[in-house]
Amino acid sequence: MPLTNPMRPYRGRLVGIRNLATGIKLFQVELLEPEGRAAFADYKPGQFAFVSAFGAGEAPFGITSTPHRGPVLEFAVNALGHVTFALHSLDVGDPVGVRGPLGNWFPMDRLRGKNIVILGGGIGGAPLRPVIHTILDRREDYGHLTILWAARSPDLLVFTEEFDEWRSAWATDLHVTVDQAGPGWTGNVGLITQLLEKVAPSPENAVAITCGPPIMIHFVFLTLKKLGFAPEQMLTTLEARMHCGIGKCGRCNLGEKFVCKDGPVFWQYEIAGFLEGFL
Amino acid sequence: MRYATREGLLAWLDRLAQEADLIAPRDVDGHVLYRPVHSGAEVLLEYERPELPAKEFLFPATEVILRIEQRGKDVTLEEVLPDRRQVIFGLRPCDAHGLAAIDALFLNQDPPDAYYRHHRERTTLVGMACTRMWDGCFCTSMGGGPADPTHLDVLVRPAEGGLYILQPVTPKGVAVLESLPLAEVRGEPRPIPVEEYNPPVPVTPTEKWRTLFEEQRLWMRHGERCLSCRICTYVCPTCRCYDVVDRVVDVRPGRVLTERIRVWDACTSPNYRRVAGGHNPRPTNWERLRNRFMCKFCYYPEDFGPLGCVGCGRCIVACPVEIDITEVMEDVAGA
Repeated sequence: MPLTNPMRPYRGRLVGIRNLATGIKLFQVELLEPEGRAAFADYKPGQFAFVSAFGAGEAPFGITSTPHRGPVLEFAVNALGHVTFALHSLDVGDPVGVRGPLGNWFPMDRLRGKNIVILGGGIGGAPLRPVIHTILDRREDYGHLTILWAARSPDLLVFTEEFDEWRSAWATDLHVTVDQAGPGWTGNVGLITQLLEKVAPSPENAVAITCGPPIMIHFVFLTLKKLGFAPEQMLTTLEARMHCGIGKCGRCNLGEKFVCKDGPVFWQYEIAGFLEGFL
Repeated sequence: MRYATREGLLAWLDRLAQEADLIAPRDVDGHVLYRPVHSGAEVLLEYERPELPAKEFLFPATEVILRIEQRGKDVTLEEVLPDRRQVIFGLRPCDAHGLAAIDALFLNQDPPDAYYRHHRERTTLVGMACTRMWDGCFCTSMGGGPADPTHLDVLVRPAEGGLYILQPVTPKGVAVLESLPLAEVRGEPRPIPVEEYNPPVPVTPTEKWRTLFEEQRLWMRHGERCLSCRICTYVCPTCRCYDVVDRVVDVRPGRVLTERIRVWDACTSPNYRRVAGGHNPRPTNWERLRNRFMCKFCYYPEDFGPLGCVGCGRCIVACPVEIDITEVMEDVAGA
């Protein structure tokens, strides 16, 4: 068997688990083998990896941590299916597997000097968190940062414990909304697109980055366009239930494109040129 | 050229069955299938197109890609693959052509598929020319032919006088023929000619397929009656989509043994493209069937080189609602 088998996961151990939101947990993984640590030494914001719950299977997740904040890998996992329920049943100390890092990433170098607008919907905020962290940790490299953070209800908002850090950063605004208010909610109520129209960030020297359900991405792009954002000022990351992550299994195709290899990060103009849409 | 008698060929197969895993066309309850055989006597020498391609011997329908042993918090991962040499005898040229199409993705696109490459390296392909074209066959339109040696290691052709002509194509083919008892022949026995060719089917450039993507009526005409039964992808020598799942095989106190298996998948399956949360960009039968045809004639050749169809005709025969890939090709050509 060749040593380089991209389907073989690196072994890891759960070193932290915490509840992020209703049904969503954050898993912190320490890689056990030097090969695994080397592979993940310099992964980029927007890349993804497969996480194995041995005995149940593996599934792809956007990596929600950044290497410059430490070697522990973080994944936000919503319990929705077989593998994700199995992951939710694990405890600190339990073994997991990690395969990656895979896919392309947000072009953080190209975004230097730009005003950045982040639009995260529900767990779609998870792959955007490394973008936020990268900007906050090299704050002088980027312009104004506007974060629009949304969820269907207040209990589904992720990374709320980081809101203070985000809000208090230099030239950074955080706006939060929920589709439906819950008990004690005093903030915005409404879709992220309504909040976007209200906040109305200037397209001047700006790039908007969004992730959420497909329907949200679609309407966020439309609203950004109304605000004057050009196709080359809008980025997103798509998801699919991939099984290989290396362009072989076919599961993530959109026309002749593969989300795993050609993406998961795409400019709006790339998506607009796709033969087959993601919606 | 090398010649062999029927007896010589069967004796050689007996020997190959000892030295290697021998796969050959066999009669299985009235069905012709490529199957493991243990002697030449089991092997069919006159047979029609086997009902399934031979891809399962290089890309198994279910393959253990990892053995996972958990002892408490410790995990060991092991890849287990057969080391024995494998010979596929009696492979029809279209099925070898199908493997060449899979090679374009699994071998030639980086990174190569470790499992497929392993099987490909341990396997020798000994083909058998067809002496006619079968129901639904259109290999001659897809760059192949009933006696096309291109993607084989050896081509065997039935010849006059009950003889067989063995043509080595690759060094692997020369090597496998070393143990073949050769027949003494006078002159040059000619191969039995192909008795009947099927009419050609038009192959349209990928650019035109691209322009017809939004022609909903065309796709619905063929795809609306699709049952999503997935038999077309199952019998296809080039379909290669897969799923990966874990299967717990043994549980004992303090120890769990799991097999991670890869299984064939089909883009015609309703859940194939569904994402977490339930959204499905291809919610209807006709959209999924459009993807299958677009993959074969547009996406696959654009991404990886070869067309994703070799004209074996199996999907035409297997489809329970008579969806005919050649009718789609005709419609696209005429659109």
